[in-house]
Amino acid sequence: MNRSLMRQRRIVNFIALCGATAATLFGLVWLVWILWTTLEKGATSLNLQLFTDMTPPPGTEGGLLNAFFGSAAMIGLAVLIGTPIGILAGTYLAEFGLRSKIGGVIRFVNDILLSAPSIIIGLFIYELVVRQVGHFSGYAGALALAVILLPVVVRTTDESLRLVPNELREAGLSLGLPKWKIISNVVYRAGATGVATGVLLAIARISGETAPLLFTALNNQFWSTDMNAPMANIPVVIFQYAMSPYDHWHALAWAGAFIVTVFVLLLSIVTRVLLKTRK
Amino acid sequence: MPTQAAGQGHRSAYVSSAFADRLFLWLTAGAGWIVFAVLVGTAISMAYGGREAFQTFGWNFIVSSDWDAVNHKFGALIPIYGTLLSSAIALLIAVPISFGIATFLAEVAPPWLRGPIGMAIELLAGIPSIIYGMWGLFIFAPFMAATVEPWLTENLGPWPIIGPLFVGPPLGIGMLTAAIILGIMTIPFISSVMRDVFQAVPPSLRESAFAMGATPWEVVRKVTLPHTRSAVVGAIFLGLGRALGETMAVTFVLGNAHDFSASLLMPGNSIAATIANEFTEADSPIYLSSLIALGFLLFVVTFIVLAIAKIMLSRVERRMG
Amino acid sequence: MSLMLDVSDKVAPQAASGALKIAVRDLDFYYGKSRALNKVSFDIQANSITAIIGPSGCGKSTLLRVLNRMYALYPEQSAQGSVLLDGQDVLAPSYDIGELRARVGMVFQKPTPFNLTIFENIAFGVRHYERLSKTQMAERVEEALTQAALWDEVKDKLKQSALALSGGQQQRLCIARTLAVKPEVILLDEPTSALDPVSTAKIEELILEQSHAFTFVIVTHNLQQAARIANRTAFMLMGDLVEIGDHEQMFVNPQNEHTRAYVTGRFG
Repeated sequence: MNRSLMRQRRIVNFIALCGATAATLFGLVWLVWILWTTLEKGATSLNLQLFTDMTPPPGTEGGLLNAFFGSAAMIGLAVLIGTPIGILAGTYLAEFGLRSKIGGVIRFVNDILLSAPSIIIGLFIYELVVRQVGHFSGYAGALALAVILLPVVVRTTDESLRLVPNELREAGLSLGLPKWKIISNVVYRAGATGVATGVLLAIARISGETAPLLFTALNNQFWSTDMNAPMANIPVVIFQYAMSPYDHWHALAWAGAFIVTVFVLLLSIVTRVLLKTRK
Repeated sequence: MPTQAAGQGHRSAYVSSAFADRLFLWLTAGAGWIVFAVLVGTAISMAYGGREAFQTFGWNFIVSSDWDAVNHKFGALIPIYGTLLSSAIALLIAVPISFGIATFLAEVAPPWLRGPIGMAIELLAGIPSIIYGMWGLFIFAPFMAATVEPWLTENLGPWPIIGPLFVGPPLGIGMLTAAIILGIMTIPFISSVMRDVFQAVPPSLRESAFAMGATPWEVVRKVTLPHTRSAVVGAIFLGLGRALGETMAVTFVLGNAHDFSASLLMPGNSIAATIANEFTEADSPIYLSSLIALGFLLFVVTFIVLAIAKIMLSRVERRMG
Repeated sequence: MSLMLDVSDKVAPQAASGALKIAVRDLDFYYGKSRALNKVSFDIQANSITAIIGPSGCGKSTLLRVLNRMYALYPEQSAQGSVLLDGQDVLAPSYDIGELRARVGMVFQKPTPFNLTIFENIAFGVRHYERLSKTQMAERVEEALTQAALWDEVKDKLKQSALALSGGQQQRLCIARTLAVKPEVILLDEPTSALDPVSTAKIEELILEQSHAFTFVIVTHNLQQAARIANRTAFMLMGDLVEIGDHEQMFVNPQNEHTRAYVTGRFG
């Protein structure tokens, strides 16, 4: 055996694996840095005012209440619109479209939509709704968020239902039950956790989306529950305040960033726990 | 009350079931077609919104570097250039790092560590891009301005070919900063796909390589990578697709400059950042149309890249069953 | 050479009533282009227990799944020939597949309880066919569970999830579920191969007890099981039906040399 060749290979291996470890540490360092500063800067700006006052004009103290409400309302509406369509489409893919050409096309299109830039979705809804109606609105914002939520729900529903063992379907069929009853009563029940997890993941995804809201809901300085008008929301407020030259606006932006980050992280952890218990 | 004879009850139950089954099929298929319609609608609506710009400027739109709101002359060259450049640099950072992470998880990390580290890296993907933007603007850009950029200007600036890339005042915001942030954002997308396919390599293949005395690194190079080649390419394209369309992370730190500059330290622009920054300022129909035309271009490029990614990835799926 | 097979003498297999329930005629079956069954023909008497035995891959499960057209779920599978249920060809496209499945039930190898309560698992199927009042449904559920030898064990926990039951109980629940919709024929595909001996014995016993009311066809790789409970046993090998006969013929004095080799354990 060639000892020096062996040693050389071992050294190369050691260097390569050190590099791999360094790369991982590199990635983790950024994660820690970003999370740490967000949490630190955001925590210092946290106070009760955030939840009681509206977004202030320059020079005044204020809160983010109207933005919280707007975000919650638009996310809620987006979930109401997008989830049923997403679950039904995912059902089609898993139960009827496994081997069909049409199923393949829809799956392909869905995956593209999943990774498409959200700014493009915003422009789409702008053209479709805002341009036609003539003004920005919370409805348009919710619609844009629904379009971003849709492919996530489709994909996770498709995957969750496909995980349900075929024996369960055959058992239903052997009883003489029709396909729709088997799907809605047996398959859905078996895949419920996965589908619910998908919805949570989608909510996490749309909570932080800014670009699509810039062209649809825009922002609203005042308290408003009128979804047919521009609506305040956290991401756009963060954007506008952070880009401004005012310190107290910066502080509010950090507070908003903190809350969004914590919300998204919590959802990620919850979904992971749900997935683990299902297995 | 006596129950129906089984045969009779069964027949009538079946007749209505066939109808209900068909209805259900139509309902779910309809939802599927809505997904299709959304994508098609996006393409059409943006082509429609950008038509004025395309009609006015023609092909010149893509190669012109004008951006004059007053005289109503717009060209997409600088945003396109900025998008491509920032994405290229981002990939330059993200691909090796992602590969390193995938290798680490496959060959170095003990089994109990794999889950937490994998989850941590995926958290990077979960952080909303606006957070990256804020962090970039308030924390990272000043850091770049104070520490990295002066170093670069001093040490790499004088060099012959790559020198001009690193000249300029240490503003902090600019192409390099934006590209680095973009790279970090892209890491989890590429690494998670790589990690999944690395783990899907049949254990027998790896084990026989080890049995022949190969080191872990050699197994990765000679067994894992060749086996997952299509997927790795697919993962890279997926990351590219994300990087091309990223808006908020770069809008904060790219600088929104409409001048061409060779230096990475200078402000630049990207398609997404231009649209985000100037949409509310667009005061003429041609201005607005130009911005939407930019969006359409971004859509076309992203669509092609993501389609390639999907084709590469589905090839692997089919092979690994 | 006579075989020493342990035959349970708790409940003896009853003689079949003689009426023809199912007649399989010249049945071919294809997975895509490859043929899995070759011109299989045999009869099944009403209210009898017929076992199908044979080595792995001989086509016994395939044959069973033709009887309720379960293969229709998979487009690349096809069958030619006829299966006559009370004289009508159920493989004909004109025969209601729902009707067929209502008359011919199936129990699978792996217990497949639905993610519902024990009560609902059974009521769910019944509800699709009949409108019963609450009392009638409760009676039907009790009847099915009693027939499946499960009633005593679950009568106090009908509202609990079926997934909490043990494997043997889940399988008996699946049998109860099938019995509840009052089919005429029940197909069982290796129903006890995943279960412990006690559960196996309970299920064999209930099959014997219920054979006066239903026709059973059971696929099994357990020769002793076939010897214990079947009126007639069919031996299959590589897609062919090699021999079919009663206990005396199949296990004591097989006519065919392959059958003899198989039941004496020389392969398989």
